[in-house]
Amino acid sequence: MKRELYNKMMAMQASRRSVLKGAAGASVAALGASTALGAFTAPAFAASDLRAEMLKVPGVGVGSPTDADWRKVGELALGPTKDRVSEGEFAGVELTFMGLNNQNLHNFLFRGFLKPWEAYTGAKINWIDLAQSDYNARLQQSIATGTVDFDIIEMGAPFEGDVAGKGLASEMPDWVREQIDMDDYVDYLKAPVGTWAGKTYRVSIDGDCHNFNYRTDYFTDEDLAAAWTDEGNDGPWEVPTTWQKVQAVTKFLKGKKIGGQDANGYLDPLKGWGGFGFYFLGSRATAYAKHPDDPNWLFDADTMKPRVNNPAWVRAIQDVLDTIDSQPPDQINADPGTTGFQQFLAGTGSMLSWWGDIGSNAKTSDSSVVGDVVGFDILPGSDDVYNASTGNWDTLASGPNHAPNMAYIGWGVYVMARVDGDSLKHKAAWSAAAHLGGKDISLWASAYPSGFQPYRNSHFNIPEWVGAGYDEAFITNYLASQANSYNHPNAAIEPRIPGIFQYYSVAEDELAKIYAGQFDAQTGADNIAAAWEKITDQIGRDNQIALYKASLGL
Amino acid sequence: MAITFDDKYAESKANRPPNYALMRVLIYGALLTWTFVALFPLYWTLSTSFKSAVDVTQGNLIPWIDFQPNWKGWRSLGLSPDTIFGISTPRDEFIGRFINSIITSVGSSMLALILGSLAAYGLSRFTYKFGFMRNDDILFFFISQLILPPVVLALPFLVLYKFLALLDTYPGMIFIYTLTVLPIVIWIMRDQFNTIPRELDEAALVDGLSHWGVFFRIIVPIAMPGMVAAFILSLILTWNEYYFAALLTSTNAKTLPVMVASQTGSQGISWWTMAALSTAAIAPLAIVGIMLERYIIKGLTAGAVK
Amino acid sequence: MAAPPQFEHARYTQNRGAPIPAARQSMGRALIWFGSLGLLAMILLQILDATGTLPIGFENWRPTLYAYVAWAVALGTGQVLVRGEPGWRALFVLPAALFTIAVVVFPTLFGFYIASLDWNLSSLDGPKFFGFGNLVLLMQDPFYWNSLLNMVYYVALVLVEYAIAFGLALLLNADIKARKFFRVAFLLPFMLSPVAVSWMIGKSMLESRFGPVASFLRDIGVESPTFFSSPWVARLSIEVMDAWMTIPFMMILLLAGLQALPREVVEAAKVDGANAWQSFWKITFPLMLPVSVTAVLIRTIFKLKLADIVINVTSGGPGGATDTVSSFIFRVYRDRSNVGYGTALAVFYLIAIIIFLILMLRVANRLTRNVTDQ
Repeated sequence: MKRELYNKMMAMQASRRSVLKGAAGASVAALGASTALGAFTAPAFAASDLRAEMLKVPGVGVGSPTDADWRKVGELALGPTKDRVSEGEFAGVELTFMGLNNQNLHNFLFRGFLKPWEAYTGAKINWIDLAQSDYNARLQQSIATGTVDFDIIEMGAPFEGDVAGKGLASEMPDWVREQIDMDDYVDYLKAPVGTWAGKTYRVSIDGDCHNFNYRTDYFTDEDLAAAWTDEGNDGPWEVPTTWQKVQAVTKFLKGKKIGGQDANGYLDPLKGWGGFGFYFLGSRATAYAKHPDDPNWLFDADTMKPRVNNPAWVRAIQDVLDTIDSQPPDQINADPGTTGFQQFLAGTGSMLSWWGDIGSNAKTSDSSVVGDVVGFDILPGSDDVYNASTGNWDTLASGPNHAPNMAYIGWGVYVMARVDGDSLKHKAAWSAAAHLGGKDISLWASAYPSGFQPYRNSHFNIPEWVGAGYDEAFITNYLASQANSYNHPNAAIEPRIPGIFQYYSVAEDELAKIYAGQFDAQTGADNIAAAWEKITDQIGRDNQIALYKASLGL
Repeated sequence: MAITFDDKYAESKANRPPNYALMRVLIYGALLTWTFVALFPLYWTLSTSFKSAVDVTQGNLIPWIDFQPNWKGWRSLGLSPDTIFGISTPRDEFIGRFINSIITSVGSSMLALILGSLAAYGLSRFTYKFGFMRNDDILFFFISQLILPPVVLALPFLVLYKFLALLDTYPGMIFIYTLTVLPIVIWIMRDQFNTIPRELDEAALVDGLSHWGVFFRIIVPIAMPGMVAAFILSLILTWNEYYFAALLTSTNAKTLPVMVASQTGSQGISWWTMAALSTAAIAPLAIVGIMLERYIIKGLTAGAVK
Repeated sequence: MAAPPQFEHARYTQNRGAPIPAARQSMGRALIWFGSLGLLAMILLQILDATGTLPIGFENWRPTLYAYVAWAVALGTGQVLVRGEPGWRALFVLPAALFTIAVVVFPTLFGFYIASLDWNLSSLDGPKFFGFGNLVLLMQDPFYWNSLLNMVYYVALVLVEYAIAFGLALLLNADIKARKFFRVAFLLPFMLSPVAVSWMIGKSMLESRFGPVASFLRDIGVESPTFFSSPWVARLSIEVMDAWMTIPFMMILLLAGLQALPREVVEAAKVDGANAWQSFWKITFPLMLPVSVTAVLIRTIFKLKLADIVINVTSGGPGGATDTVSSFIFRVYRDRSNVGYGTALAVFYLIAIIIFLILMLRVANRLTRNVTDQ
């Protein structure tokens, strides 16, 4: 009840344009200290207070944040904008923003974040909301038919080849770079991954990698531990850190019970997901395929020859095939959304590769029932790693080979080149983008269900999260899995080449046939490689090689 | 199947066949079975909009017994009792799209009904020769417009609408939706007009009415129920259209189905929100259906009014 | 564009009104000529403007659209002026025809053009002419032929849907209580959007652990029921969802047909001593054939475009067992931006369907003609 009252108050307050000054009226006291409306007098606050304040909106453990919370966060984060833009400076400017409506997040979240910005600057933003499944097609078709009708776009880094590669994006001005403090980005998001052909276009609002999520209750369960030993398995009953162990545990768990329910091991999404499903095979394969001495793992950079049918990838596919029978019955029809949200967060399965938002969702989302029993780590490694140049499996002196999969690299906000001619519009568009990619606002976004993960060094300050209400052990464990993935020296970076999702999409079709038992792993992988060669030839091999190298900063 | 005719003759009790009672049981048994089949998924959708995550994944069925209903789905749209008076971006979005959906679907269904009825009457009554095309060919020409998967019309329409400045406009959406339902209206209405005896037309013509006079004064009133039914079917189809809506609209003419589809994505799925949206989207259609049900019955049945 | 249609006087031979005065005829012809010239001139001007030869400064091609509308009006009026009564009759079909042509001609021609291109939207070089190259690729594409085969199954199942819809229509046509309730209830599934059907039914109700259908099946003794794991079960699950949604559409058409049946005929059969079964097959079913043809035809066309449910629920799996042509084209065209090939797939499909439908209609015509001859 109190919370509802609080939301209503927020809604009323934020609707007033003069919200900034003195909005913390008499009602504050009634709402209690935890909501602390005093934060509306933001400029006076020291940075850390502001951040702490922000993280208490609405507070961890009270369910998903609402519209009013987003607006409040947007209001609190307005400081850097005020330093560079005078009030009403953009009056009369209209911008069109294209992005996702992903379960009323993303664009809706941005609306909330940007409402106070609009009120302050006087600009107006029109919104194009796309369902995620339409996103790629709509973007490509707009570009191809010359119907780009948006000034700002929320876009995944893998599409940079299609947009920046065609000169459609506006280059980031220096003041934006300062405003968003780009030096704070985690290492892998800096150049070259943060740039395209040496220029910066992206305001990162997200960092993406797959990490390893597991159920702590499984690996502390005494019955399972006893059974594990009884069946003569090697080593103690513990969280696997190599894929070899993941395989063993998954097979072991078939037919076991935990808490009266069927136990399951690792969850593979066996159904395609508009290209996104391929990342999950990638997460299994990187430890085998990404050799520390070689930046490439998906293609040969010099020839664009696919590596997807080399022994490392085939072994990953075979691993999936070996455990299909140990997974839940309808797994052949499970896509990553199913494995993540309908299975893992809902309590089925004990191990999962996913983007980091499963972790923040585990605690803060309404969908989760496993908040207290999830643990995190970087993706499992492998005892041996395939060396593409020699064709041998190497065993490294340093121990198992880990290669976290930087899948998707993250969402960014981009300004389109069509605003370049109009300096006011240009400034307005970049100011909006910078607001969304701000240092403080992004902390909030990574702490609450937003679809975005931590991506700045400043996001890994544990006390801030604890102050927001996160359990210290939980959040330390979670952030470590993220930070260790991002900063891993052997991270597998996704090639940002045009049409990368075409490759994934074709691969999903062929993988579906393999998983349905129509081909063995090697034949299926050869089919994928053949299909990829066709795509490369169609898009233009020389171009692809050049752009691939550009994306690697070579 | 035999049931029907037994019924028809059962009007006078004296005529009741010996197995009358058994027949009644069978009829109502079948009716109730199918009612369950038809309504259970809708009940499931409606109840899901009041469930929290656990209740969805556990498949709980009965409110207050299996699960404690809450306003979750509706709150996420700003339509629950506690949020209805607050500010809500999703609700603004929902209402805007809702209105757009009404404008485009009603507009296109009306246009299709007008164009389609005229064409259907012509094809039903007169013999045309249009180059090599006869009546059947013209009819086939219309229905062949239905066949192409809308996906591949994406680029052509994008280009066409860009040239004509129809992207993201009501007229643009109305035109393309009209195109998609026009063939259906023509086929349905031609069947309708075919069942109206031509003697009616001829008598009116003898009385001195023109063909258009006959159409508007005699035929339309008789066929009105059928037209209403065709209208409803068109309305439903255009109301739920997705591909073109996703492609050809941006900020002005955006419609509801895209928002429904947006409830899934890389952050899983908001069951409750999607259920609430689906329920809210079906509601106006259901109301139209209930209001115009008598037309659906007599509907499409010009003959009944003879 | 369109030669003035010629109309035969088939049924109404009475010539009403005096012969049309020559002056009126020439005025009509002038109007048509004038309208056509205007349209052509406008197109020419716009082309000149677009190519930059004669910069007039059109913002878009709307003027051509308006000129087309004006031409259409001129054509219609001209028809009436020139030919009198037949002209009036032409006016019934002209609006729909001209509308369809206006909206469809460009996209169709452009579509055929795209089908002849090697065009991947991600290619920096843009489209390349490919001629029949896409057709060659198509012939060798196992995914396409697999989905075509699936379509055969799906379309065959339309007959089952038709039988169910007919049964339901008969039920609703019977003398029942609460008719209004049943009729609305039976129609409701058609109103739910395919996206909602996919998720609420396909992913929630048919969920294999907690979904109500799975729970029910487990209760009656089915061990670990799954709906999308083996090819035929998956195909049928998709079909059941699609049928659930669209049976009401056919049902309504058939119900309407039933209600339009002349009661005397049916009663006459009774007097002849036919039992219900016989009178259904001898009287009702044949009389219902024209409506049935329309219902099955429209339903078949819908079925041939089946995509949403497949895309959302199975993505064509397991191993392509539920893939439809439309969902495959969807992947090629949208996920892979391979628009040239995708369009070629669709055009080939279109032609195949048109041939199929023409054959189907021919058979149907023969059936209905037999009936009307009786």
